[in-house]
Amino acid sequence: MEEPKATASIIINLAEKFENESSDFYEKLAKRFEENKAAFLSFAHESKKYGVLIVRTYRETITDALEACFSFEGLDLSKYEVETNLSEDASFSEALSMAIALEDKTSKFYTDVAELSKSLLATIPAAFRRVAKGRNSRKKVLESLLNKTPRP
Amino acid sequence: MTILDEPIKEVLTVKNYVGGEWVGSEGKMVDVVNPANCRVIAKVPVSTTDEIDAAVKTAEEAFPEWRRTPPLARARCLLRLRELMEEHFEELSRIQTMEHGKTIDESRGETRRGIENVEVAAGIPSLMMGYNLEDIAAGIDEYLIRQPLGVFGIIGPFNFPFMVPLWFAPYAVATGNCIIVKPSSEDPISQSKIAELTEEAGFPSGVWNLVNGGRTVVSGMLNHPEIKGICFVGSTPVAKDVIYKKCGETGKRVVAQAGAKNFLLVMPDANLESTTAACMTSFYGNTGQRCLSGANLLVVGEGLDDREYEAFYEKMLNAFTVAASKIRVGYGLDESVQMGPLRDEGKKERVLGFIEKGIEEKAKLKLDGRKVKLVSDLPHTCFLNPTVFEDVTPDMTIAKEEIFGPVAAIMKARNLDEAVDIIHASPFGNAASVFTSSGKIAREFQYRVQCGNIGINIGIVAPMAFFPFSGMKDSFFGTLHGQGQEAVRFFTESKVVIQRWF
Repeated sequence: MEEPKATASIIINLAEKFENESSDFYEKLAKRFEENKAAFLSFAHESKKYGVLIVRTYRETITDALEACFSFEGLDLSKYEVETNLSEDASFSEALSMAIALEDKTSKFYTDVAELSKSLLATIPAAFRRVAKGRNSRKKVLESLLNKTPRP
Repeated sequence: MTILDEPIKEVLTVKNYVGGEWVGSEGKMVDVVNPANCRVIAKVPVSTTDEIDAAVKTAEEAFPEWRRTPPLARARCLLRLRELMEEHFEELSRIQTMEHGKTIDESRGETRRGIENVEVAAGIPSLMMGYNLEDIAAGIDEYLIRQPLGVFGIIGPFNFPFMVPLWFAPYAVATGNCIIVKPSSEDPISQSKIAELTEEAGFPSGVWNLVNGGRTVVSGMLNHPEIKGICFVGSTPVAKDVIYKKCGETGKRVVAQAGAKNFLLVMPDANLESTTAACMTSFYGNTGQRCLSGANLLVVGEGLDDREYEAFYEKMLNAFTVAASKIRVGYGLDESVQMGPLRDEGKKERVLGFIEKGIEEKAKLKLDGRKVKLVSDLPHTCFLNPTVFEDVTPDMTIAKEEIFGPVAAIMKARNLDEAVDIIHASPFGNAASVFTSSGKIAREFQYRVQCGNIGINIGIVAPMAFFPFSGMKDSFFGTLHGQGQEAVRFFTESKVVIQRWF
């Protein structure tokens, strides 16, 4: 028998997990780094919306075309493992670097699953692309914050 | 690998829902078993004749007020039901996996298809409109109105315990009728959950009733003079010899969707990769337990010489077999699983009988699903892996009879004409598909093939809620079908009024 496959259910649950963890992560950053609270809270809020968008799109479009036998062939999920546990003594620039890595990996994840699901109903890859785009925009904001941060 | 949380934590006692009350039954209780782990998850009553009679009486009493309720108000009940189903989407889906065995994605697909019927039926103010014409004669106008009939019985099958009753129920109540749903006693829990949600959605007492049981309940429905029509989905012998016949005798309306033996044709110009993927879902989705499942794969050699045809056949056969051998089998709440168990041990035994018959009749067993390999440690009681037979000929039992399990028969047809003849030799006419990149072949297939649901490069030809679920020959008994406009017509009487004012 084959190795476990990335079924639609696994992918959607993973996306939901990314968004929940991201939301918690940015809420923590908002508490820790008051000057950028508004930006981090908006990211946290956005992640919650992304989670809802992905799950809703999946539930609204899952039919016979997207059931058990469909899988995201060739997707290596270990490539997208993210770290959101920020140590107590992490500096602002370390937190930003972690956030950038998070956005980088998740946007790559969404881009890849959008590509692999393009044969399905258009709303499915469209939802993944939308989140990938949003994640990329965040990455740029975070990079610009990092560039403005004085290095030790 | 993630095993999703089971929503049923302890053995449930399923009750009947009649007149807005949850009532017990005098009948004996039978076990509902999760086929993946063989655990009892509920006990369901085998209701008595008196109990079905009482439910009909309650529904009959609720009818006059419900039919006077404006269509928009009836639609709002459905819209609220839809919202509640969305809210409970995951729970409803996991219940289906536990009671039936299908994978979680299959259950979610089933939930979605069920909800879509509620959504379509909520358009009843438009769907139920009649039509009119002025001046059909001097000063005379004529118009048609649609009126509900009374009480309908809905008898659900085991293979789609959530969705199939929803091919009918939302349209029946939207048009102003009252219903009694009898789910399969093998997997009645999701219908019980729906009844719970109808209560919360604000349907008046007696409009949507649920009576659990078996033959006694079915007989009670068929014999009751106040039941105006029956909706049934199940096997051909029951549909033809019991439901259709009895409804004819008692003057009831009837929709009886029955068995199938569906053919999928692969033409030489088909996209083999996409075709193979579609075939996997078609043949092995829902563990082959659906009336739209692919059963026979006809590899057609249209336009090829003998050598080319052999090469094409081998290529398709190998692609199919390799893909089938990779399907992960196990408990449907394990998200990595792609095929669950059969509904029960008896159904597995029946499928095993067909596999043995295939071997006896000299079909070649290319992939033997009897060698059960599961992704986790579970009792093998209800499980089989995908099976593939090659060199199957149209006269073999496995090519003719409905197996209702994960068994594929690969057959040859030299050209499209021969393939169509093979399809037409089957008494069934539920669905057929062709995989091709030729518009000409597709058009000819659609035009000639005598099946109710035709697929062009589609593995499972499942009509959406706004189209009828069609079917022909021994796959359907009745006139109008479930879903969409046809369901609205089924559940209403057309009344014509010719009017003149002096």
